[in-house]
Amino acid sequence: MRRLISLCLGLVLAAALPMMAAAQDGPLRIDITEGVIEPVPVAIPSFVPENGASDMAAQITRVVGEDLTGTGLFRRIPQEAFISSISSFSSPIQYADWRAINAQALVTGAVTVEGSQVIVKFRLYDVFTGQELGEGMQFAGTTDGWRRMAHKVADQVYSRITGESGYFDSRVVFVSESGPKDQRAKRLAVMDYDGANVQYLTGSGSIVLAPRFSPSGDRVIYTSYETGSPRVHVLSVGDTQSRILPAQAGSMSFAPRFTPNGQGLLYSVNEGSNTDIYRMDMASGQTSQLTTGPAIDTAPSFSPDGSRIVFESDRSGSQQLYVMPAGGGEPTRISFGPGRYGTPVWSPRGDLIAFTKQNAGRFHIGVMRVDGSEERLLTASFLDESPTWAPNGRVIMFARETQGAQGASSLYTVDVSGRNLKRVTTPDGASDPSWGPLQ
Amino acid sequence: MHTGHYISGGGHLALLLWVLFGSVFSSEPDAVEVREVSVVSEEEFAALTERAQPPESTVDVTAPPVPEAEAGAPPPASAPDPEPAPQPDPEPVPEPEPETAPEPVPPTPEADAQQETQELAAPAPEAAPQIDAPEASDRPTPRPAPRISPEPVPEPEPQADTAPDVQEAVEPEPSPDAIEEADPQEAEAPEAASTEIVTEAEEPSRAPSASMRPQTRPNRPTPQPEPEPEAPSETQTAEAPEPEPEPTPEPEPAPEPEPEQSASETSEQLEDGIESALAEALGGGGTTDPEPDVPVGPPMTAGEKDALRLAVQSCWVVDVGSQAANVTVVVGMDMARDGTVVQESMRLVSSSGGEGAAVETAYQSARRAILRCQRGGYDLPPEKYDQWDELEISFDPSGMRIR
Repeated sequence: MRRLISLCLGLVLAAALPMMAAAQDGPLRIDITEGVIEPVPVAIPSFVPENGASDMAAQITRVVGEDLTGTGLFRRIPQEAFISSISSFSSPIQYADWRAINAQALVTGAVTVEGSQVIVKFRLYDVFTGQELGEGMQFAGTTDGWRRMAHKVADQVYSRITGESGYFDSRVVFVSESGPKDQRAKRLAVMDYDGANVQYLTGSGSIVLAPRFSPSGDRVIYTSYETGSPRVHVLSVGDTQSRILPAQAGSMSFAPRFTPNGQGLLYSVNEGSNTDIYRMDMASGQTSQLTTGPAIDTAPSFSPDGSRIVFESDRSGSQQLYVMPAGGGEPTRISFGPGRYGTPVWSPRGDLIAFTKQNAGRFHIGVMRVDGSEERLLTASFLDESPTWAPNGRVIMFARETQGAQGASSLYTVDVSGRNLKRVTTPDGASDPSWGPLQ
Repeated sequence: MHTGHYISGGGHLALLLWVLFGSVFSSEPDAVEVREVSVVSEEEFAALTERAQPPESTVDVTAPPVPEAEAGAPPPASAPDPEPAPQPDPEPVPEPEPETAPEPVPPTPEADAQQETQELAAPAPEAAPQIDAPEASDRPTPRPAPRISPEPVPEPEPQADTAPDVQEAVEPEPSPDAIEEADPQEAEAPEAASTEIVTEAEEPSRAPSASMRPQTRPNRPTPQPEPEPEAPSETQTAEAPEPEPEPTPEPEPAPEPEPEQSASETSEQLEDGIESALAEALGGGGTTDPEPDVPVGPPMTAGEKDALRLAVQSCWVVDVGSQAANVTVVVGMDMARDGTVVQESMRLVSSSGGEGAAVETAYQSARRAILRCQRGGYDLPPEKYDQWDELEISFDPSGMRIR
């Protein structure tokens, strides 16, 4: 018996000692679980005007800086703090000078204007590693499109530093509103993501609602009361020509959206007190009913992979969010908090669902995991609605309306983390935004 | 649900198999054989006393007291003639005391053979005197000979009387031994008899550990040549002061790790010895060469680790809304002696929670944090360079991730 015990002890020791000794060997291990949340300091010296285009170079540099700092993830170091100056695009970088001012990234560029053509070159440097981050790139375009080239430079910088695609060279379609609340004129308009270059797509003679960009960004679908009753129109952004989709049985309700491949539509049809979700193939006009039952099922939105659909329904007695397979079937409720959930939109990343929530007299824009977990409310106001995702799934744009007879609607953006709430400057009031793809 | 159980069960099974079939016991039979010797001694106690005494090298120990007793106490010399043989019986007890004299020797590699023989001899005489104790009652005269220590323990009073005699006798004893330097040590020891006994108890416990040390100590010279490479780094600043600073730093780090280990890491050394024996048995000792260098330095304190952690995390910028915020990365790097990171050595050791661009972004963010906050070098204890010459830092943003 004693031998057995000693044998067991020997086994345990023989097993434990090497493990204990192994734990002591190897490199020193440090675990870090807390960092800092702060914008990354970036140095963006004025792009070098290589052909006397100093004004254009300054404008492009400014837009690049505004794009990056507008994300809330970057902080531009003022030029007055620079120790080195970039006099030539190909001159070597004095990393120590940029480290001294704590710049983590350095963006250098050059602008060449030849007639109506403009060429923008840039390089991005990781200051503390002393290496160029990626390779230098150049973009060529017309002088009228200089903002797009600035956005493209900013997209590249953003992507190389964050590892995620950018969203600066993208456009937003929205409903431009003017006039008092009771006589508000609504026009369909499109603008750059930052509110610049607003262009109107329709006149102000009829009410337009719920415009949606197609996945490729070449078309816009919207609901118009041009004929006296709500009808779904498809508009080509290039030539602003629109056509009316064939009418369906009953009345086509709001919130039509494109399928991920852009070849079909999801919409809801209202028959009496019953509303159900349908899918239509735009080429053939064939339709299929995806939901049944007496409840109001509406506001469908596809997952980016096209496998599932999230929508709102009051089948449980209150307005909640449900997820069902793309071909229809038994839905799964994903929202369980207090209040009413509506207008869900699946993130382009596929990991989150944005929604509008009405609770205790206030509206919120929120996000939750696709299974309904980790619900977070990003905003709170008198009326926040119509969330739409940036093409990289990082930012949400929505419409916020102020209270009172003189209240107006305007567009805001907020980071998915709930930080960096910003208003998008538009010439008039704006609502119902739909963020298009990266161009 | 039971994945943890399966993993645990599989791990334990693999471990047991490895222990059973990994030729782990190849090194253990040595210990078993040692016990067999003790078993044999129990069969024939009288014979053992006769056998054990000669191999014990007790001759060395007994030899000095015998001439001393003869010289210091000639009157009892009449009886001693037949008794000299029994005298060695009680003497084995004092033997551990004289062992203190060879103990200073063990630091030298010669101790291996000597200590082994002493270890085998030590258990045998311990059993012998217990049985001889009744016999000792018939030996009033020989007791004066063992004046050294066995008597003071049972009889404190005779200690006072005999103590002065013992001191006188002890002083001449060490001198004939061999080394004069050891004499003052022995003279100091008898003054505090109780403390001597304690140290003797400790020393035999160190004996087995010391038997393993000779293997690790020859490796310690390797850290000493390491400080030498410091010289070239220092030569960059000035050539003239080279020789002077070199010798001073070299001896300092060398003695520091030794006492700390002997004091606090005796158990760890035992483990290391067993581990090294197992590793050798398993044939995995090829990679152990650089490892023994690591534990040489004293361990980093929690405060020193915290200081490094705080220094790095103050520069770790986390984009909580990005997909990289779901990724935990472990960044490995080599460190220079001035606390700076060897940039070329930075590498992604492992990652979890994401893939592709998210992992790369998380790694680059961690990499920037390490490089950005090092400035002139991280504030790390230079004497513990062996502990932090290689670092692995885990960046886990899960605590900051927005839920």
